[in-house]
Amino acid sequence: MSAYRLQQLKGHIVPGNKITAMAGSPSPLTTHVLNTAMGVPCSNMALSLYRQDPSTNAWSLITTGTTNVDGRCPGLITKQTFTSGVYRMHFETAQYWESIGETCFYPYVEIAFTINDPGQKYHVPLLLSSFSYSTYRGS
Amino acid sequence: MTSADSSPLTTHVLNTGDGVPAAKMDVSLHRLESKLMIWNMLSVGTTNEDGRCSGLVSREAFSPGMYKLRFETGSYWERMGQNSFYPYVEVVFTITETEQRFHLPLLMSRFSYSTYRGS
Repeated sequence: MSAYRLQQLKGHIVPGNKITAMAGSPSPLTTHVLNTAMGVPCSNMALSLYRQDPSTNAWSLITTGTTNVDGRCPGLITKQTFTSGVYRMHFETAQYWESIGETCFYPYVEIAFTINDPGQKYHVPLLLSSFSYSTYRGS
Repeated sequence: MTSADSSPLTTHVLNTGDGVPAAKMDVSLHRLESKLMIWNMLSVGTTNEDGRCSGLVSREAFSPGMYKLRFETGSYWERMGQNSFYPYVEVVFTITETEQRFHLPLLMSRFSYSTYRGS
């Protein structure tokens, strides 16, 4: 399911949550998507953040967004809602490459990660080309 | 079970934190059934001492579509007595040219990983 469609659904299901950049304190979870083939940030890439319910293992959509011109997406989550748990970030990579006239080996990229200490800041970048990608816990 | 030579899809898992192959890691291959949008598991295996896992799929079963390689990285690190940022790694990719060979390594440490289409 594309992130755009998810964004539509979220609007029906979760009233009142801001999807785009929030004023106030910055998100404790950030990302940065870079097009390593062309040496530019991946701008206008759709992404979404999910958290897994520990008792049912079901995933809930927390937010959707689109990277800005610098490949970043501020306001992913607030400090208040950032609890310990397993999260998953979904990046619409093929959609991005198609929008610049290219194909991508990866229809999407999902990075699942565990947050044990929500008091810390977590930076989860994605370095991406048409046939490779990498990620790391950054700062 | 197909031999390592005949699977058109291979992987190689490397523990870049310790500079060794990631042995005894569980790996599974799935294909998306596109009408129902569910993943079907095609095979499951464990990496050998060299971090490789043979017989993932046969040439006959390797049809075009969306595939997913799932690596049980969290369990691997737990067995090493360490924690990791990633509970598992899933690499989703699209296959259109099934006569080609696809080598998809995973280079991973406790706090990073990368993958690429190799040869």
